[in-house]
Amino acid sequence: MNIQFKKGVLGLCTLALLAKKNRYGYELVNEISKRIAISEGTIYPLLRRLKNDGYVTTYLEESKEGAPRKYYQLTGDGRIMEKDLKKEWKTFVKGVNSFLKGGVGDE
Amino acid sequence: MNKKEFLVNLSKHLRGIPGEDKKDIISDFEEHFDMGKREGRTEEDLAKSLGDPKILANQLRANIMVAQAEKETTAINITRAVFASLGLGFFNLIFILGPFIGILGIIAGLFAAAIGISAGGITGLLGTIFSPLFPEYFNLIVNPAAGIFASIGVTCFGVLFFIGDIYLTRGFFRLFIRYIKFNARIVTGRERKDEV
Repeated sequence: MNIQFKKGVLGLCTLALLAKKNRYGYELVNEISKRIAISEGTIYPLLRRLKNDGYVTTYLEESKEGAPRKYYQLTGDGRIMEKDLKKEWKTFVKGVNSFLKGGVGDE
Repeated sequence: MNKKEFLVNLSKHLRGIPGEDKKDIISDFEEHFDMGKREGRTEEDLAKSLGDPKILANQLRANIMVAQAEKETTAINITRAVFASLGLGFFNLIFILGPFIGILGIIAGLFAAAIGISAGGITGLLGTIFSPLFPEYFNLIVNPAAGIFASIGVTCFGVLFFIGDIYLTRGFFRLFIRYIKFNARIVTGRERKDEV
């Protein structure tokens, strides 16, 4: 699959995952790479960018297993962004699908 | 590549990034390795799925430099952001370095014009003042008072032009940072099949 395609939706996937609950980095990488073939490291620069742009914040939380984990949490802007992107994506997919199903005639 | 090799490699390619950010990045990846190992994955497997540390480092560097230039729009920070984004791939050479040099050219031209006009005004003023002392060199065709006022006017215009250039440069730089951001989002990393 086209690299730029995936790059674009990676941000949406991350925001969508965080909209459900706060997660730590490894968890996010794991959830996404289970379903989409990516170099897993790419999520980290993306997370930093989202943080820089004010869409997510981070906090440390102790875990049972020892070292504290860095959790990512959506900000208000992040929630708005997630909703907007989701809507945009759905419209886009619907549009593309209408071609794939052959719903548009030639006449 | 095991965890240590990956981190050393990453850290090597993160050269030039502020210490605080670098520490933060390394600790993110350390956490990633630790979590993965707890789930029974090997360090080699984890390092392989993370991808090339050099590409990651380039992406991180570009993010940090662009964010820095956004926060403090100075010529040095912009130049750093431009060069960091060049590390993201060949396309940026054309789409970022090219326009950047073009913009620098325009800015240099505008400043040169402002300096030229100011210098002209000052020269006119000095010429008008000193012309009675050196009649053999000067041949004024206007009233000296008119000459002086016109020269002062031109000088002021040059200075205002210069100040305007400073604002314009700042505006250009701000726009350019947004352009880099937009570009970096589209052309990121090396084109490789089935990998982002």
